[in-house]
Order: sequence, then structure tokens, then C-alpha cells
Amino acid sequence: MIQIQDLIKAYNKEIVLNIPELNIEKGEIFGLVGNNGAGKTTMFNLVLDLITASKGQVISKGINVRESEDWKDFTGAFIDETFLIGYLTAEEYFGFIAGLRKMSKTETADFIAGFADFFNGEITGKKKFIRDFSKGNQKKVGIVAALMGKPEVIVLDEPFANLDPSSQYKLRKLIKDFAAQNGSTFLISDHTLENIADVSTRLIILEKGKIVRDVLKTETTLQEIEAFFRPVVESDLF
Amino acid sequence: MNPNLFSLAWRETTRSAYWGKSLATNIGLGFLAVYFAVSFLLLGLAIPEILTKKFSEAEAVSKLNSILLAYFAIDLIMRQLLQKLPTVSFKPLLLQNIRRPKIANYLMVRSILNFFNLLPFFLLLPVTISLVGHVHSGLATTSWFLAIFFLVFSNHFLAIYLKWRFNEAEYGFFILLAGLAGLFAINHFGIVDLSGGLGKLLDLILIYPSLTIALIILPVLIYFLNVRFLLSRMFVNLVSEKQKAEKVSDYSWLNNLGETGRFIALDLRLIWRNKRPRSTAMMTLIMFLYGFMIYRDQPGKELPEFVFIMGGIILVGMFSISYGQFFPAWHSNYFSMLMCQRLKMKQFLLSFYMLVTVVSVACYFITLPYALMHTKVIYTHLAMLLYNLGINIPIIFFIGLYSKKRLDLNGSSVMNYQGVGASQWLGGLPLMIGPIGLFYLFQLGFGTVGGYIGLGLMGLIGILFHSVIIDHFAKLYLKKKHELIKNYKNS
Repeated sequence: MIQIQDLIKAYNKEIVLNIPELNIEKGEIFGLVGNNGAGKTTMFNLVLDLITASKGQVISKGINVRESEDWKDFTGAFIDETFLIGYLTAEEYFGFIAGLRKMSKTETADFIAGFADFFNGEITGKKKFIRDFSKGNQKKVGIVAALMGKPEVIVLDEPFANLDPSSQYKLRKLIKDFAAQNGSTFLISDHTLENIADVSTRLIILEKGKIVRDVLKTETTLQEIEAFFRPVVESDLF
Repeated sequence: MNPNLFSLAWRETTRSAYWGKSLATNIGLGFLAVYFAVSFLLLGLAIPEILTKKFSEAEAVSKLNSILLAYFAIDLIMRQLLQKLPTVSFKPLLLQNIRRPKIANYLMVRSILNFFNLLPFFLLLPVTISLVGHVHSGLATTSWFLAIFFLVFSNHFLAIYLKWRFNEAEYGFFILLAGLAGLFAINHFGIVDLSGGLGKLLDLILIYPSLTIALIILPVLIYFLNVRFLLSRMFVNLVSEKQKAEKVSDYSWLNNLGETGRFIALDLRLIWRNKRPRSTAMMTLIMFLYGFMIYRDQPGKELPEFVFIMGGIILVGMFSISYGQFFPAWHSNYFSMLMCQRLKMKQFLLSFYMLVTVVSVACYFITLPYALMHTKVIYTHLAMLLYNLGINIPIIFFIGLYSKKRLDLNGSSVMNYQGVGASQWLGGLPLMIGPIGLFYLFQLGFGTVGGYIGLGLMGLIGILFHSVIIDHFAKLYLKKKHELIKNYKNS
């Protein structure tokens, strides 16, 4: 689905991302973990053509994202709150995105109704602008908007951050179900290893811009990545 | 004061992506500053001569005293429109070991460093030396000067206080205008002689110089009024304040217009629900009255043609200029989201074009009654309407390609004073000067009416080719999108 070839992003000769090759298969829930500054958001921004690569390219379903805009037809994304239009209500925002994604009014209403449990009665039906929402509720709006139109590729940067514990569980299930039903490919990053290990079918660890682990998920994946990130404590050595 | 706070402010300015790239703005502002300083100086040198022609020197001083109130009133309005408020992003400071009063005092002290506080003295100094100093003793002159000095700073602090207030409730400015108009009427029809009152007070100071000391109370009082206001606002906005339901108006009928309608609906919501674009739109309404000012007949004198061009461009095109000069930065907060959507850049530009067209045509008809003052307004405004839509809007698109600064729409209105200074007016200057220059060029060849026809024709050509032009800019915008995203992130 997505091929990354020879991709390098450098700021003033400091390389922040260097991926010689990476293929993400259709239907994969691709989990990206890494410490701060590892290059996760940079990679997502490159996939979405929001920043330019210093070298190399991202091919999404055969389309070089730098050269054509057609990838937008099958891609949904939520990177951060700058993806939201603060002065709209949640419904208006969904309506705006629905219009861009050529969804009819009833389609939109049905689609949004499907997330009632996730929204927990706090998003829709409120005469409140998105800018006045809490961080967690803003995130929910952004995530659902990214899923609108059932895109084939969905990019979510730290979707679990700022969500309350029950919403985190709901989101895990939501992503897995959505992928199973629609065959969408997800690109997800997060810092909570448990969440990411649960939803992903494939996991990648980035460190200082390089891929250091690339594994398909098994029973022991969580332990493995936890071991990777856990600092070496002296007592472990004895 | 606190050197840390000053260096913080300095870094905030110099490290934004906007800094240094707005050279044209700075040159423009510098030019205006020099222009006003020189004008005031010349006026200051001329006033003594003008007044002593009619009056004796002693009378001239008290005549001057009696008109000072009008000066301060105009000064107050100008400050409202042009003076910049000092700002500090206070949120990160709140948790530090800095007392709130310190932040408030810092803001007030920084506000003093403003051109508007320097400007009056260009006028005042020559008058003091060559007029007041001539007839009065050194002590009297000094105390008179100090009295004016205190009044200037009272006006400064008052202006800032009002500006802070109006920032929370923008209709305040209209109340101020109405209030001043009311005071003017009271004064003008002799109900209460306000300006004479101030004049008498100043006359008195010349006789009893020690009275000046009493006047110092005024700026100090208003200063503390400001500090008190700031202290009451220096909190992170509490949620409870925002719990009230927003008035949500429905623009869904616009969706019938298809994709363009959807963006126009977005634009309308943007204008209506955010303070800054709303005041921009309000300014368009005030500007309708501008015609009474410039189209007023001077007895025995024909109005020069550039007045009609200025009038046309301001009355018909004010909205497109003031709203357009920040295109596409109005959408900067969520620009990267738009760039991830399957939206056609062309649609995005076209919807702006349509919105401005509709508003401009409406403005043309609203301002048509000025034809009762000058019949030619019918065609001068029409020429400017066409020129505005055909030529100025493409120029706006071009300027927009280089937009650098993210506009802060989301921030609450408290402490959000972005773009309330003189520079926001400056961007529109080329859009107004351009047609004036072109007109005189056409006039050379084809006469006065030919000049208007020339402008109108240029505009008409631009309008006929608007689709091609917008296509072209859509491509350019797509090419520049990474740069725009980067700039909006860093500013």
C-alpha cells in the first residue's frame, strides 16, 4: 500500500529521519513507537506531503505523494489539533469534512451515529465550538473526522494521548473493527506501549530517525518492546 | 523594570518566522512615522505665526489652550485605530516566581515606549519655546509644558485602557465614537463649554504654576486603573465562563451552492465567530461613512480626481482589501488539515473570490446614494468596483502567496491583540495607490472620463479572465504549500 524509498529528512545537515526502505501492506495496522525526537511525526508528515523530503520518496498506492494529489482521495489523517477548525461545532466540522469527502447528509449522520459510544455524549448535540472542547474531546473529533469516507489509508499521530482510560480501550477496539470491516491500512504512533501493541499488526521502533526493530505482532511483542525501552537498571545486572 | 521580561519580549519578536521578512511593512511604518513627525514639527512651527496674526501673543496662548481638548479627542481616536498594545504571553509566567503586579507593571511601562507618545512633542516643543515662552516666565512655561505632558500620558493610558476594554467588547469603539460625538455636540452648541473649561484650567496654570502638581494625579490614576484591569484578567480562562451555549447560526443553505458554497459558509462562520475578522468586517461598515468626509464640497473648489478613486476603492473595496490582505492566513490555524483533504485549491481561491465579489457589489449599491453629492460617483465607483475585482484581487492572491504569519483565531480575546496596530492598515496601501497612479497615466492619454474607462476596462479584462487567473494561482499555491505550512508553524 505504502512504499517508502530512500527517504531522508534533514534539517541543516542533521538527519532526523532516514528510512532506506519500508513497505506497508494493505490492511496492516502499522504501529510506530519511539522516544521523543525519533522521527515519528516527521515520517507521518512526509507521508501526507506536509513537509518536503530531503531525499527519496513516499509512494502511496502507486502515487508519489510529492507529484500528484490523488492520494488525498483515499487518505484520512489526524496529526494534531491544528487539523481542527476551532470556530466550528463538532457537527459543522464533520459536515465540512463530509462535503470534501463527498458524503451525503444521511450517510454522514449514520456514520457519526456509529461513534456514539466513543463520544460518550460529549461531542455531538452541543452548542459549543471545538476550540472550547477539552483536549481529549478535540482528539475524538479529529480521529472520527479522519475516518470519514472510509479511506484506505488512515494516519493517526498519538491518537491515544489525552484520552481517558475507557476511551483508550474503546479506541483500540474501534481501530481494530474499522480495519477489519473496511480493510483500511492504519499508520499509528503512540507512547503507550500497551495500546500500540494491542492494536497493531506490525510494530516498528524508530530511534534517532532509523528503524531499529520491525516485527509482526506475536504474543510476546509487548514484552519485547517494553524490554527495549526500559532503562537498564543496575539491579538487573546482578 | 524587569530585564528578564524585556529580553523575553525581544526574543519572542526576533525568533518568529515573521521577523525580518516583513521589511516592506517596517519601511512603510518608518516612512509614516517620519512623515507624521515632520508634519507635526512644521505645524508646531506654524501655529505661533498663524495665531499671532489674529491675536496678541497672550491671547494666542489662551486661544491655543482652548482648542487643546479637540486635539486630545482626535488623539484618542487615532490611538484606538493605530496604537499597538503591549503584549506578553503571560501563561508560562504565571507559574514562575514573578508576582502578577510585576507583569502588569511591565506591560504598562512597555506601553509607554510608543511613537504616539513621542509625536505630540514635535508639535509641543516649538510652540512652547516660540509662543508660550515668549509671553510667560520660565516657571510658568515649564509648568504649562508639564501639564500638557501629563495630559498626553493620561490620554495614552486612557487609550490603552479603552483598547483593552474594547478588545473584549468591540462595540465599545462605537460607543466611544458616539460619546465623543455627543460631547462635541454639547460643546459645539454651547450647552457646556468643555474645551473652554480645559483652556481656562491651562490659563490658570500659567498664572499659578504650582497647580500642575494636581494634574499629575490624572495619569497616575488611569495607570492604576489599567493595572487593576490587567490583574483581574491575568488568569487562564476558566471553563465555567465558556459553558454558555454559543449562538450557532445556520449557513447550510449555502451548501446548495456546491463546493464553493461550502467554503463561503466557512468564511462567513470565520468572520462571524472570531473577533479579529469580525472587527475587520465591522470596519467596512464604518468606512461607509468615510464618503461624507471626502466627498464634502469645498466651496469654490473642484474635488481632485484622486479623491474619487480613493473614495471608490475604500467605499467599494474596503472589505476585499482589509479581509483580503490576510488571505489565506485566516485559515492558517488548520491549513495543514486543508492540505490533506481532497479539496481543490481552485475551489478554495474561487470561494474567496465569490465572497468578495458579492460583498463588493453590495457595497457599490449601498454607497450609490453618494451620487446625490456628486453624480459622477455612479461611474467612478463602478470603475473602481471593476478594477477591484479584476486587478486588486489577483494582487491579493499574489501577496497571499508570501503570507508568513499565523493569525491567532483560537486564542481567547483576552491578551490576544494581534494585528491591532498600524501595520494592519499598511498592507492595503499598494492596492489603493496603484489605481491612482494608473488613473493619472490614462488621463494623460484619454482625458478624465477616459481615465475611469481605462481603469474599468482593466478590471473587466481581469474579471473575464478570472478563471484562468485563479487556475494559475491555484498551481502556485500548491507549489508553495510546504513553505506556507512551515511559516504558519513557526510564527
